[in-house]
Amino acid sequence: MPSLTLLGQSLISGVMLGGLYALVALGLSLSWGLLRLVNLGHFALAFLGAYLVYHLGTVWHVDPWWAVLIIVPVFFVFGMLQHWVFVVFRVTELTSLLVTFGISVIVESILQWIWTADFRRYETHYAGVSLKVGPFYVPWLELVALIVAVGLAWASWAWLRWTYVGKALRATAEDADIAAAFGINHRLLSFLLSGVCAAYAAVAGAFIALVSTLAPSQIWAWLGVVFAVVIIGRLGNPVGALLAGILIGAAESLAMAVISPAWAPVVSFTILIVLLLWQPKWL
Amino acid sequence: MRTKSSRRFVLGGLAGVTSLALSGVGRAAPSGTPVRVGSTLSLTGPLGQTALVHKIAGEIAVEMINKRNGFLGRPVEWVLLDDQSKPEVTRSLYENLITVDKVDLIQGPYATAPILAGMGVAQRYQKVYIQSSMGIPKNLTYDMAFPATPFGPEPNKSYPKVLLDAMASTKTPPKSISVLTSKFPSAQFMAEGTRDEAKARGLNVALYLEYEFGTRDFGAIAARVKDANADMLWLGALGLDSNLLLEALRKLDYVPKRHFHLYPAPGPLAVSPDGDLALSSTFLEPAPPFTDRKDVPELAATYKERATKANVPYTDLDAQGAGMYTQWQILEQAVNGAKSLDDKVLAAWLKKNGADTIYGKIDFNGPNNHGPAAQMVKQVQNKKWVVVWPANFAPPGVKLIAP
Amino acid sequence: MTGVRPLPALGVGSVIVMLAALPVAGLPAFYESFLYLMFYWIALATSWAILSGFAGYFSFGHAAFFGAGMYATAHLTVKMEVPFLAALPVAAGVAALLAAGIGAVVFRLRRLRGELFALLTLAVTFIVATIILNTPIDGGAGVLTSSVPLPRVISSSPSGTLYLLGLIVCVGSLAIAWWVSRSRLGMGLFAIHDDEDVAEVKGVPTFTYKLLAFTLSGAIAGVVGGVHATYVGFLTVSETFGITVPLYVVLMSVLGGARHWAGPAVGAVLIAASLYTFTSGDQATIGRGIVALVLIVAILLLPEGIVPTVLKQLRRRPVTRATPPDAPIATQAAPKRSDAPVLVVQDVRKSFGGVHALRGVSLEVRQGEILGLVGPNGSGKTTLINMITGHFPLDGGSIRIDGQEIGHQPAHAIAQRGIARTYQIPRPFAGLTVLDNVRLAAMFGGTGLSGAALDAEAHHWLAFTDLAGKAASLPAELNLHERKFLELARALVTRPRLLLLDEVLSGLNPAEIDSAIALIRAIRDQGASIVFVEHLMRAVVQLSDRVVVMNEGATLASGNPREVMRDPRVVAVYLGKAHVA
Repeated sequence: MPSLTLLGQSLISGVMLGGLYALVALGLSLSWGLLRLVNLGHFALAFLGAYLVYHLGTVWHVDPWWAVLIIVPVFFVFGMLQHWVFVVFRVTELTSLLVTFGISVIVESILQWIWTADFRRYETHYAGVSLKVGPFYVPWLELVALIVAVGLAWASWAWLRWTYVGKALRATAEDADIAAAFGINHRLLSFLLSGVCAAYAAVAGAFIALVSTLAPSQIWAWLGVVFAVVIIGRLGNPVGALLAGILIGAAESLAMAVISPAWAPVVSFTILIVLLLWQPKWL
Repeated sequence: MRTKSSRRFVLGGLAGVTSLALSGVGRAAPSGTPVRVGSTLSLTGPLGQTALVHKIAGEIAVEMINKRNGFLGRPVEWVLLDDQSKPEVTRSLYENLITVDKVDLIQGPYATAPILAGMGVAQRYQKVYIQSSMGIPKNLTYDMAFPATPFGPEPNKSYPKVLLDAMASTKTPPKSISVLTSKFPSAQFMAEGTRDEAKARGLNVALYLEYEFGTRDFGAIAARVKDANADMLWLGALGLDSNLLLEALRKLDYVPKRHFHLYPAPGPLAVSPDGDLALSSTFLEPAPPFTDRKDVPELAATYKERATKANVPYTDLDAQGAGMYTQWQILEQAVNGAKSLDDKVLAAWLKKNGADTIYGKIDFNGPNNHGPAAQMVKQVQNKKWVVVWPANFAPPGVKLIAP
Repeated sequence: MTGVRPLPALGVGSVIVMLAALPVAGLPAFYESFLYLMFYWIALATSWAILSGFAGYFSFGHAAFFGAGMYATAHLTVKMEVPFLAALPVAAGVAALLAAGIGAVVFRLRRLRGELFALLTLAVTFIVATIILNTPIDGGAGVLTSSVPLPRVISSSPSGTLYLLGLIVCVGSLAIAWWVSRSRLGMGLFAIHDDEDVAEVKGVPTFTYKLLAFTLSGAIAGVVGGVHATYVGFLTVSETFGITVPLYVVLMSVLGGARHWAGPAVGAVLIAASLYTFTSGDQATIGRGIVALVLIVAILLLPEGIVPTVLKQLRRRPVTRATPPDAPIATQAAPKRSDAPVLVVQDVRKSFGGVHALRGVSLEVRQGEILGLVGPNGSGKTTLINMITGHFPLDGGSIRIDGQEIGHQPAHAIAQRGIARTYQIPRPFAGLTVLDNVRLAAMFGGTGLSGAALDAEAHHWLAFTDLAGKAASLPAELNLHERKFLELARALVTRPRLLLLDEVLSGLNPAEIDSAIALIRAIRDQGASIVFVEHLMRAVVQLSDRVVVMNEGATLASGNPREVMRDPRVVAVYLGKAHVA
């Protein structure tokens, strides 16, 4: 039987990991749920952000927090531009898959062109720092990632729930025609949302750079688990994505601690299937 | 055994010096129709991390061969294709090279899956097939396939022996060991061997864990390593696993007493604050005494220059680049030694003579054409990898540092 | 299936023979393996589309079936030394069982559609992969299959054998997809794609069909995996169950057109061939980017996929008029009106969460009568129709037709007993032509018709509802009036015993209402009993023989239309209690 310290520590690291999953999932969930666009390119964009943070940090010695501030507006504009293409060509849910896959491959090529395919690691002095709480260690960077994820998820939720823009977005997702009849300018709003999603990718990318591995092909490594997070959290539901991220992260981590790391996916994905089939009320 | 092979090495070295002298005297540059040698590398896709290293080293090798005498006095041309990290594409591209491009000779790709995919084609067309990164020798079943790296026929036994010998030589040898490995075929293979060898030597195997290839988060695994608190950590790592695990351990305020890494990305581990005193395996480092070997100084210098230009993060010649260079050296010696481009003749020559490479003398007389093993242990000291074991391969003044 | 003409058999046959003769033609072996990879992707993408393209159930777990077939073959041939050809059917069987197992659980739950289905299949892939990775099937070491002896089919090399096997699997999967797309099964799957609930109510056994399609799809993927296991020579879990297979089959199908049997194949050829456009070592990185850019441009210009777009262009040029066939339609003697009840609803109850939608409704519909069902919004009229057609399960009570209890039968079985309905807001199958919408209803609606007779019947009812000129149009091209009549045509073509009309008149202008009323009378004169839900009192009074008034999930009054409408309780319900007091 594993010790309580081990269990607690694994739970902490799982929850933190979940925060990172949620951070990557947020933008994907919003654009899928509210714009009906499955943006595979979100992962590529996040990694582009990660590489930029890495580059700014290692070559020009820009602190990662400042780097995020620089790239967020750039990504926001990129998101709007991308959406402009989607609008002009009337991209649907189905074709968005193919278009954004193409964008991902192009970004992957660009990353490889500039930074080579070799592994990169952004070493910062934040990396190994932890807060000690009783017998447990809370890694500082991951904690920040989790706090940012909670903050963004809550802010997105509040934005959708309480502001005119948010309500209009949800109404449009429910029924675009009726919303249009009420004078909601769907296009304008969708540009705004696309920009926000791309900006979220930049934020997620910064944390990927700080805590994870950089290699162009890693774009595809996050796809499976983040898709699971997005769907189980319900499309377009930022708080759902957060909770789903934490659930999957924690399940994975506990399974790694108690059973075996190699069996962990069975545990977390069985939980997921059971949840889908059983569908408890709170989900 | 060692004396014998080192004597051969000296002889080989002499031969090298002679040929160098001859070329200095003014042997004509290779001329005539080029000898075309085809191969693939995973230049794109998930195996792409080290492709550029192979490409640079291979290009340098071809240039250096052409500066000497080429193949039989003819220039060598490398027809390089991108297999996109896909075994099925690798297979068809080798068929393309052999049946459509009609190259004269082929070279092997790198990484287990592409190597095995290409090997089937080589076997069907009876081509000599040299590769440098196949970690499971028993899978190299084709009798004209040759390893350019002296893994030995049973690296799962010889690797742990060398490492544990090195550990046993220290003041306080480890009494317990945690073995962790990625479920990547060649890593897992070595991990099982290490576990068994450690047990056989009476070490307590405090933890044996396999984790999924591509694991992103090492938090829970780190917690288990800390929990087990063994004297030594053996990690069957690929790529950045090492950095991520060590960092996760630091977050738990834990530094492993000794830590070995199987196939780490050498650069990031060497420069990482956690990488200090990390151990790994090697066959050559661009430092004395290896720089006394023929070709090594030129290769290491050119490599550093090209790698820097290509923006490769770790610009020292490493096992990947050196292996690729050795592949070409072996082919060069076979062609010019046997004075033939006929694959069967080349294979027979190699089996009989072996080859003198930057790794020293390599023989192909054991099971699956694997000769004696020659791995060494290296360690990160002052952010650089240096060979520390066997002691006679360590640079002057360098010693294995252990608690 | 829309727009598929029978392929010239001779052309197809000679292409297949030519391809089959390739190994002996002395071409460089590269072309064999290049073409093999085309076959491989065509078969995989096509097999995926049989469920996911045709029925719209996007699976993100095709690697599970492919991988199951691959590892089954590897395990049998390497570890148990079963001959390769004998292992292939087992590979198909294992994958088919896996698919059927997943389907049997998942397809029972109506909510597991769309992205939830994609997620489930993805999760299953992860689980299958992890199990194989951690058990002796693979164990993490990989399985070396390059030494598996291959039968020499013709006197050529083993690669010739693999080529031929690839060809057979490819042609086979295309033939299956072609056959499915033109069969009853395919028609049902297309209907499921467009509107599964309506498909079920029109008589399509949706559960069985989805399960069949999924099993078929899995079985083909299993065989493809089996052949591929020896082609690659070395299997690892991360390669087999990676993102490539599930992602590429989706992309290929979307590019070529997932709903058409040939679409995935076209997409597969283009994408697989594009892998070979830039293989030279110096252009690899840039080449990949260029290929991706071409892909983006292609799908932006052909958003419906290549095959459907091309077919549309071809169809547009010669203006094809759907000419009704001359086959005589079966006429049936209209049964006389009588007091014999056709439908008996007794004490039917239904609640959703805490809301009691129906609190014990009883009514009967007699032979040949038009029963007007009225009541304020939310009184339970549409819910009652949904209960009768089997859309929702009963909480209590019984529903009998001709004395037979149907309250617990699935909707498609009820439809086949001769109960048809229309929807208040028309719900035609958007991807099927007007004619196919009607044909589908006839095919599954218990008419027992097929072939020319079925077509004739469909054309007859299109003419009856004045839609003959629109037979080849898609429902989106119709106006509301025409869509309502299409609803009617789809119901009438089944020659229902009982017809449930849900507000067919709403949204029509006065002239259209008059023609609709005439039409409904004509329908009754052919012998159907009709339940007629309507808000428009003028029409109710004109048409109904009897009226039942519902309020708050219960029947309030029934009888002669004019009398019932004067009943103070009814007036109170419609105008509010205060008015009466």
